[in-house]
Amino acid sequence: MHKLGKSHRDKVQQFMTITGASEKIALQALKASDWNLEGAFDFFYSQPHKSYTDTTHLEELYNRYKDPYTDMILADGITLLCNDLQVDPQDIVMLVVSWHMKASTMCEYTKEEFFTGLQALGIDSLEKFLERISFMRSELKDEQKFREIYNFAFAWAKEKGQKSLALDTAIGMWQLLFAEKQWPLVDHWCQFLEARHNKAISRDTWSQLLEFARTVDPALSNYDAEGAWPYLIDEFVEYLNENGIIQNGQF
Amino acid sequence: MESKTIDFERGWDHVYKGIKQLRRILEGLPEPLFTSGEYVMLYSTVYNMCARNPPHNYSQQLYDKYREVLEEYITSTLSPSLRGKRDEFLLRELVKIWVNHKVMVRWLSRFFNYLDRYFVDYRSLPALNEVGMTCFTDLVYREVQTNIKDAAIVLIGKEREGDRIDCSLLKNVLDIFVAVGMGSMERYEDDFEADMLRDTGAYYSRKASSWIEEDSCPEYMLKCEECLKKERDRVFHYLRSSSEVKLIEKVQHELLVTYIDRLLEKEHSGCRALLRDDKADDLSRMYRLYCKIPRGLDPVADIFKQHVTAEGTALVQAIGAASNAPGVQEHVLLRKIIELHCKYMAYVTDCFQNHNLFCNALKDAFKVFCNNTGTDSSSAELLATFCDDILKKGGSEKLSDEAIEETLENAVKLLAYINDRDLFAEFYRKKLARRLLFDRSANDDHERSVLSKLKQQCGEQFTSKMEGMVTDITLSRENHAAFEDYLRSNSAAHPGIDLTVTILTTGFWPSYKPCNLNLPTEMIKCVEVFKGFYETKTKHKKLTWIYSLGTCNLSGMFDQKTIELVVSTHQAAVLMLFNTSDRLSYSEIMDQLNSTHEDLVRLLHSLSCAKYKILSKQPDTKTISRSDYFEFNSKFTNKLRRIKIPLPPVDEKKKIVEDVDKDRRYAIDAAIVRVMKTRKVLGYQQLVSECVEQLSQTFKPDIKAIKKQIEDLITREFLERDEENPNTFKYLA
Repeated sequence: MHKLGKSHRDKVQQFMTITGASEKIALQALKASDWNLEGAFDFFYSQPHKSYTDTTHLEELYNRYKDPYTDMILADGITLLCNDLQVDPQDIVMLVVSWHMKASTMCEYTKEEFFTGLQALGIDSLEKFLERISFMRSELKDEQKFREIYNFAFAWAKEKGQKSLALDTAIGMWQLLFAEKQWPLVDHWCQFLEARHNKAISRDTWSQLLEFARTVDPALSNYDAEGAWPYLIDEFVEYLNENGIIQNGQF
Repeated sequence: MESKTIDFERGWDHVYKGIKQLRRILEGLPEPLFTSGEYVMLYSTVYNMCARNPPHNYSQQLYDKYREVLEEYITSTLSPSLRGKRDEFLLRELVKIWVNHKVMVRWLSRFFNYLDRYFVDYRSLPALNEVGMTCFTDLVYREVQTNIKDAAIVLIGKEREGDRIDCSLLKNVLDIFVAVGMGSMERYEDDFEADMLRDTGAYYSRKASSWIEEDSCPEYMLKCEECLKKERDRVFHYLRSSSEVKLIEKVQHELLVTYIDRLLEKEHSGCRALLRDDKADDLSRMYRLYCKIPRGLDPVADIFKQHVTAEGTALVQAIGAASNAPGVQEHVLLRKIIELHCKYMAYVTDCFQNHNLFCNALKDAFKVFCNNTGTDSSSAELLATFCDDILKKGGSEKLSDEAIEETLENAVKLLAYINDRDLFAEFYRKKLARRLLFDRSANDDHERSVLSKLKQQCGEQFTSKMEGMVTDITLSRENHAAFEDYLRSNSAAHPGIDLTVTILTTGFWPSYKPCNLNLPTEMIKCVEVFKGFYETKTKHKKLTWIYSLGTCNLSGMFDQKTIELVVSTHQAAVLMLFNTSDRLSYSEIMDQLNSTHEDLVRLLHSLSCAKYKILSKQPDTKTISRSDYFEFNSKFTNKLRRIKIPLPPVDEKKKIVEDVDKDRRYAIDAAIVRVMKTRKVLGYQQLVSECVEQLSQTFKPDIKAIKKQIEDLITREFLERDEENPNTFKYLA
C-alpha cells in the first residue's frame, strides 16, 4: 500500500468501503480497470462472489421485513426497510434496489427476489446495505444501466395482469426518473398527457420516450416527423408547436 | 485458245490499242464499240500474259500497268476539266467525269479480268475496281471534296429558301461520297453529312429565333410540321436514308426543344390558351410534334394537368358558393364534374392518343378536386346520392334509358378518383336498401347494370353484399308466394290482415338497430303466423324483426270520409293506440309503445305537426314536448282518398362514417400483418408505403391511423421494434 500514490490509496480505500472487499481484491480490481473506480466496480461485480454474502445473515434480514402472514415482503416491510436505510420510500434508489432484485411488481418482494438482489449487491447486513446506497445512486449515472432501469420500471410499476401502465403512475415514475436524468421537456410532457391523452401508457410509448429524450434536442431541431415515433410522441410535438412552446426551433 | 507464251511488249501493245480505243469512245469520238470478238482477244492476251509460269508471267507488271493507265487517264483527261469550275458547275462536271471514270474502270476490269480472278487473291492485293476507286479518290476526290461539299450545302440552303434545285444532280453527287467510302459510310458522314447537319442546325436556329418572336404557338407549330415534312422529302429525294434520324433530330432540337418553354407558355396562344379555347387540332399537332422527342411531352402533360385541376377546382368552388337548395346544388355539381370528365377524356383519346402521361395527368387532376367538395358532405356521399337520385322513382331527372345508362357509367368512372371508396360503398348500400325495401327503385335492370359496372371497376368484393341484397328481394317475392299458399291451406292461421314479409340476409344488408316496440295485438298475430310458416321451411335460421323498415296501410275513419293512410309500421303502432283511448299524453304513449324519446318525437311530429294532422295536439305548437296531449283528429279530411304520411329518416351520416372508420381499422390491421408476415423485417417508411399500396383499391389510409395500428400490434405482441434500430419492425410469429 505504501508504494501507491495518495490518489490511488484513496481509491483503494473507497473501493473497500463501498464493496466491503479486502485490500487485495481492491487492488486487483483497480489495477484491472486502470485505476478507474467505476470500471473497478464493474469488474468486481461481474465476478461471481456469492461467497461474500452469508446466507444466515440474509435470512435474518429477510425475516425482519417479511409479512407475518405471507412469505413475502409487503408494503409495511418495505416502509420499515426504507426507514432503516434512511431513505424516503419514494426515493429512486429503491427502484434501483428493485431492479437488482428483478422484482416483478412494486410494493412487494418475494423471498427469492430479495435474496437474488442482495446477493448480487454483496449485501448480507444492514450496514452493508447502507454502504451500498451511494453505489446504487451512481449506477443511475451510467447511460446503459439507466436505460435498463428505466425500461424495467415499466413492468415493475404497472399492475399485475395489465398490459399498460396507468397514467398517474406513469407520470409519477417519469418525474422521478427524469429528475435524475435531466430532461427539460418532462413537465410539458406530463401536462400534455393529462390534458390530451388520459389513457394508460403502452410499453412501446414508454421505451420510445427515453429514446426521444435521449436523441431529440429540446428545441426539436432534429425531430423527424416522418419517423417511426409512437403517435403519442408525434402528438406531443404538435402540442408543443401549437402552444408556442417550441417556436421556430427556439425553446 | 492456243497456249503460247507471249512477249510482254507485244502483248501490252495489243492491250494498249484497246485502251486507246476505249478512251476515244469515252471522249465521244466516232469510234465503233468493241465487238465481242475484239473483247475476247483482249481478254485472252491478258490471260496469256498471266497464266504462265515465270519468267513469262507478267501479272505484276500488268497489275501495275492497270493502275498507271487509270492514273494517266484521270490526270490528263478528267481532272483538268474540273479546274476553274465552281458551285453547281463544279458539281455537274464532277458527276460527268465520275460517270466516265466508272465506265473506264468497268471496261478495263473486264479486259484485265484474269488478274482479278487469281493474282489479286493470291497476292492479297486490292481488287481492280478497288484500285480504280482509290485512283479516283486520290487524284480527284481529295482535291475537290471541300468545294463539292460546300456547293452541295449551298444548294440545299437554296432549296430551303424555296428555290427549285436539281435534285438528281445532288443525288448523284452524294452517291460519289458514298462510293468513295468503299463499303463504309465514313466519307459520306465525315466529309459531307457532318457539315450538312451543322449548317441545318444553324439555319433552323436562325429561323426559330425569329419565328418564336413573331408567330403564335399554332402558327409556329404549323411551320415546324412543314419543315419536318420538307426535310423528310429531302432525304427521300437525295440524301441517304441513314441521314434521316440525325437530320430530324437536329431540326427538332432547334425548333422544338430549344424553345419548348417559350412556345408552350406563350400567353395568348400557348398550351394553356389552346386548352382554354378548345383548339383540338392545334393540340393534336402539339402532341404529334412532341411525342417523338424524349421527355418532350412532359411539360405538355403538366400544363394539361394544371389546367384540368384549375377548371375542376373553380367548378367546385362556384357551385359551393351558389345559394341553391343543398340537394340541388350537389346534384348539379356532380353533373358538371361528369361533363368536365367527358370533355377532357375526349382530349386524352383524340388529341393525345391515349398516351399514358395524359391518362395519368387527367387522373391526378381529378383526384385533386374530386375529394374536396367544399360542402359538409364528402364526395363519396355526394356520388352515392347522385346515383340514388337517378335510380329511384321520381328522381330529379326524367331521362331516357340510354341517357340513364350513360350517366351511371360516367358516375361510376368518377369513383376511380375518389379516395374514400369504401365510404361510397356504405352510403350506396344504405340508399340501395331504402330503394329496395320501400319499392322506390325505378328499374331493376338499371340497378343490376350499375352493380356490374361497379364490380368491373372495383372488384368483386366491392359489390358482393349489394348483389346479395338484390337477390334477397327476388327470393322474398318467391317466398311470399309460398306464404300465401300456406295461408290458403291453413285458414285458421290467417291473421286477418294482408301481410307481406321481406326476408333479409343479415350479412348483406346494412346493420339496423333492433327495436323492442310494443306492437298492437293485430300485428303481433301477424308476426306469430309468419314465424309459424317460416319454421316449416327452415329450423336453422333466426328471424329478427325490424319494424322501422316496414309500411302499413290503415283505414282512417274520419268524420267526413274514410281515407287510407300509408304509414310506417311505427306510425301505425302509434295511431292504433287511439283505437282504445281517446286522449293520450306523451308519457302514456311512451309507456305503451316502449319507444325511445328520439324516435317518438319524430313519430308524433310527423302525425301532428306536419302537412297532414291526423292527430291533434295540445298545446298546438310546432314542436313536440313531453307534456303534450294527443287526440285522434276526427275532423281531418283531404280531397285524396289515399295519402302517404312521410316519416323523415334519421340522419345516418354519422353512423355510416363511424362504421366505415371501424372497418378501416380492421383493414389496416390486416394489411400490416399481411405485409410483415411476408417481409419478416421491415423499416417503418416501407411498411407504411406498402400498406397504403395494398389498401389503395378501397381507400386512402391516414398515416396516423396506420401508426396507431402498428402500435396496437406491438402491444398485442404481433410486432416488435428492432433493438438496434427503433425505426425497423420485426414480425413475431
